[in-house]
Amino acid sequence: MKVFLELGWFFKQEKRAYISGVIILMFVALLQLVPPKVIGIIADHINDGTLTAGLLAEWVLVLVAAGAAMYFLRYYWRIQIFGSAVKLSKILRNQLYQHFTKMSPSFYQKNRIGDLMAHATNDLSAIQQTAGSGVLTLVDSLSTGGFVILAMAFTISWKLTLICLIPMPLMAILTSWFGTMLHKSFYKAQEAFSSLNDKTQESIMGIKVIKTFGQEMEDIEDFRRQSDDVVQKNIVVAKIDSLYDPTISIIVGISYFLSIVFGAKYVLNGELTIGQLISFTTYLGLLIWPMLAFGWLFNIMERGSASYERVSALLKEEEEIKDTPNAIDKAPFGDIDYQLVEFTYPGASQPILKDIHFSLKRGETLGIAGKTGAGKTTLLKLLIREFEGYQGQILFGSHSLQAYKLDRLREAVGYVPQDHFLFSATVAENIAFTNPSASKQDIEAAAKLANIHEDILQFTDGYQTVVGERGVSLSGGQKQRISIARALLMNPEMLILDDSLSAVDAKTEEAILSSLRENREGKTTIITSHRLSAIQHADLILVIDEGRIMERGTHESLMAADGWYKEMYLHQQLEELVEHGGQ
Amino acid sequence: MEDSNMEKKTQLSSSEQRRVLYRLLSYAKPHKKEVTIAFLLLLLTTVGDIVLPILVKIFIDDYLTPRKLDWAPLIILGSIYMGIQVAKAILLFFQLVAFQKIALYIIQQLRIDVFSKVQALGLKYFDKTPAGSIVSRVTNDTEAIKDMFVTVISTFIQSGVFLAGIFISMFIMDIKLGLLCVIIIPILVLVIVLYRKYSSKYYLDMRERLSQLNAKLSESLQGMSIIQVFRQEKRLRAEFADINEKHYGAGMKNIKIDALLLRPAIDLIYIFALIIVLSYFGITSFDTSVKIGVIYAFINYIDRFFEPVNQMMMRLSLYQQAIVAGSRVFKLLDHEELAPAQNEDQQLCIGEGKIEFNHVSFSYDGKRDVLKNISFTANPGETVALVGHTGSGKSSIINLMMRFYEFERGEILIDGKSIRCFSKQELREKMGLVLQDPFLFYGTVKDNIRLHQKEMTDEQVEAAAQFVQANTFIDKLEGGYNHKVVERGSTFSSGQRQLIAFARTIAANPKILVLDEATANIDTETEEAIQTALAKMRKGRTTIAIAHRLSTIQDADLILVLHQGEIVERGTHQELLSQRGLYHKMYLLQNGLSQQVEDVIL
Repeated sequence: MKVFLELGWFFKQEKRAYISGVIILMFVALLQLVPPKVIGIIADHINDGTLTAGLLAEWVLVLVAAGAAMYFLRYYWRIQIFGSAVKLSKILRNQLYQHFTKMSPSFYQKNRIGDLMAHATNDLSAIQQTAGSGVLTLVDSLSTGGFVILAMAFTISWKLTLICLIPMPLMAILTSWFGTMLHKSFYKAQEAFSSLNDKTQESIMGIKVIKTFGQEMEDIEDFRRQSDDVVQKNIVVAKIDSLYDPTISIIVGISYFLSIVFGAKYVLNGELTIGQLISFTTYLGLLIWPMLAFGWLFNIMERGSASYERVSALLKEEEEIKDTPNAIDKAPFGDIDYQLVEFTYPGASQPILKDIHFSLKRGETLGIAGKTGAGKTTLLKLLIREFEGYQGQILFGSHSLQAYKLDRLREAVGYVPQDHFLFSATVAENIAFTNPSASKQDIEAAAKLANIHEDILQFTDGYQTVVGERGVSLSGGQKQRISIARALLMNPEMLILDDSLSAVDAKTEEAILSSLRENREGKTTIITSHRLSAIQHADLILVIDEGRIMERGTHESLMAADGWYKEMYLHQQLEELVEHGGQ
Repeated sequence: MEDSNMEKKTQLSSSEQRRVLYRLLSYAKPHKKEVTIAFLLLLLTTVGDIVLPILVKIFIDDYLTPRKLDWAPLIILGSIYMGIQVAKAILLFFQLVAFQKIALYIIQQLRIDVFSKVQALGLKYFDKTPAGSIVSRVTNDTEAIKDMFVTVISTFIQSGVFLAGIFISMFIMDIKLGLLCVIIIPILVLVIVLYRKYSSKYYLDMRERLSQLNAKLSESLQGMSIIQVFRQEKRLRAEFADINEKHYGAGMKNIKIDALLLRPAIDLIYIFALIIVLSYFGITSFDTSVKIGVIYAFINYIDRFFEPVNQMMMRLSLYQQAIVAGSRVFKLLDHEELAPAQNEDQQLCIGEGKIEFNHVSFSYDGKRDVLKNISFTANPGETVALVGHTGSGKSSIINLMMRFYEFERGEILIDGKSIRCFSKQELREKMGLVLQDPFLFYGTVKDNIRLHQKEMTDEQVEAAAQFVQANTFIDKLEGGYNHKVVERGSTFSSGQRQLIAFARTIAANPKILVLDEATANIDTETEEAIQTALAKMRKGRTTIAIAHRLSTIQDADLILVLHQGEIVERGTHQELLSQRGLYHKMYLLQNGLSQQVEDVIL
């Protein structure tokens, strides 16, 4: 019941729908009593030979009216109650989405995407069920059950009612007991199924090994064994599941038997008419559902409550990176002054960056080199405030990064991430991501700058080709260049290329870099790269190793220094040569 | 890609649907006996269901109305009633279990068929199809079909037989009223047809919206950092809200269709049926007397007539899903891209293990050749090493050699006979492949060396491990050879995985060895063990090796340097170094001192 309290805000918000729905539901429960009653009355008239055409027509009319009314009312409460439940899941889904867009990367490190998806799908549907079927089951089983029992007791015979109800609680007890057993065995069956799933997955991943050793038949045999296990565990489920119907049928059968035996006695006594007895047995049929519903209701509420708890816990997570109260509402520009003493990722024990000090004049290019995991990307992430909580300060213009509104800071930054992520949309839409109303010329200009225009024209639908997960697959280099075009469309004050040229060949790299040099006069550019050719023209080059600056200078000064940079540079030149067949 | 295309094509024509259904049903054939028993049980329980109201009718008409109260026959009647009740419940249990069992066995067979088919497919298929979607075919789709067999088909059969039984009984009791009640059937059919027509349309629409919604959500979560850094949160929220609103609209439409045509409609038909029955008896009673018991029995039948109908209709959407899943499964079962065939009739054996490649060219996609005119000979016991940059074609040579892919141009000979002449069994027994990324299966270390060869003794397993010196680290593991290997062996270092893979190959004792050396960094300690093991393994075996570290193949009898699918240099290590060509540069890249590198570059 707790979950209904927790969802109180929603019931209040939709009170008209719920109140009208519940009232109608109860009214339908009352109307349901009419047909059995009419059956009894007509049967009595037939038995007594007192039925006339007029009487018959009258009662048939009552049935017609009751039937038609029930049809419309049943339609109406479904719209009210189930409709509200769908609305609830819509509202929660929007809330979750909004919330997700506010969460910083550390949230996404803690929560896996698969889990977040599960909350937004399975949990929401469990909550929707609670607000729909849950409410329905509660109201309907109580009102139908109550009204039927009242009708049986007061319009027919309370003694007979009591006698017939004796076996009913047994049904509720047994079915809820079966429910627990079913739950357990179902869990086992699911486990067996998921290990069959793992087995299949593994066989497909290891298909080469299996084929190499010619063990297809043996592997199929193994699969058969595991699928046997699935069958055996499912048979247990089937057996428990098959207990329900016979149990219900036998208990209801006993109730019927009791009602006819004792009912017959009362008929002979003259306490009852035969028609009333027939009405009574028909009412008995109406009682089966409310008895079963309680077990089911409990189940729905339990699931809904657990799901709602998970979803609200997610919604309660605080935003980590917020604007300071008097944040500057202007996009920053100017020199960068990076004075970092130390930064440690939340939850990590070792600092990832230490003593990073450098300044960059507006319009200069910074190159950062170093091994994977040296801290290059982290250095950039602090610039776009994906993470905070470091010692030291980073100035952009004459103010620290935190002094600006986050939104305005990011307005000044064009970021091209390492993992070039494209959305399932057209190429043009992907490039115009920051400004969906960008003109065709602007989009093409950005594409030309990123050296991808020619490639795009080769696609089947040109700029209208759908890319991303559900579109055509592009090469890594093409994806990288589209992400570069996306950042360039903003013409940002500061452009950050985070190892974003790794998948393009040396010639394309050179073309992109030189067009950047021409077109970004007076604007700052930061490039991290594994391949040193991408940063050799930078005004300042930093070599980072284990979170510290190991070497710094220009290409010329570093080549003269005979250190890691030089060794790496030569090595990469040779590699390039080998890739091209030695020429 | 393939998967998403398959998911999209959910609209099947009704004849396609029927074909899928019949093909699914044909899986019941081997279970004729069980099906017969299940049907027999079903008939018996149905007879029970039909007879019970008749007993009450007899009681009302013959004893209650005439107020004839002989205890003896009444006790007999009562005992028969409760006896049938109990017997029916017991039979019902066995009947339900029987139908579910049949369904489970059918699905198991279907699963095994799909899995076997997957094993028979050529590697080409696996290149094109994501593993996840193949797994989905084997497990999830068959699970959807299982739901249909367990709930839909058995409900349909049970309800159908029950309805037939009710009608037969009605006809026997009162043929005129029985005929009148037949009117209900076309009305019901009409409602079902209408419901199927609209609900399948709106239901599919809602599923489609839901999958759009989930796709949007999943994509946004994956690209959240991009959305945030480019400040597009507001726009995407609006886009999401829009899809969400459309999904809500589709959901509402479904609720309306369900509300119009499902339970409320069936309940309305129930009232209609009541009116027919009551009017009939009422009108009849004006002229002749009517037995109250008959009224009771009819009302009782009508009462129970509609529950199965409701059940059937509620499950129609499951049926729809199962048919779609079934069509996907059958599409895979009918796939024709099988693994390259071997000539299984000839009893040829691989003797010395001489390997020849004669002018072999090969293309994966039929457009771009990844191998161009490759010719070389590996004499018995010799080692031929393949070196080259990524994409130079080394792995393709091994893929052809292992018969993972079929080739058309040129020929590959073993002991002078075409590789196609040997049986699959013979090839697999005599040729051992060690893969670059040695795949370990979930299980124990021992299982991973032995694989499915049950007859291999523990001693043989240990001997193989000792031969490649894998025993040194295996002995240190908790449980030794019975140490648990987790999914994909991720707790082992790549070097250790490689050693286990070596042991696996040696345990099979092949005549020809095909090695694809690991590129990953391997710790020096294991590296040494691997080198020693490799040297030992190659002794007495014809070996084709892909080498990434040139140091490992310095003693090879022949080194082939590949570039863009062609052999550009060939010779021994010393010959190639003195040529000062590509091989020389590759060698420098790995072993060169910076002075030598500078000489080459500058």
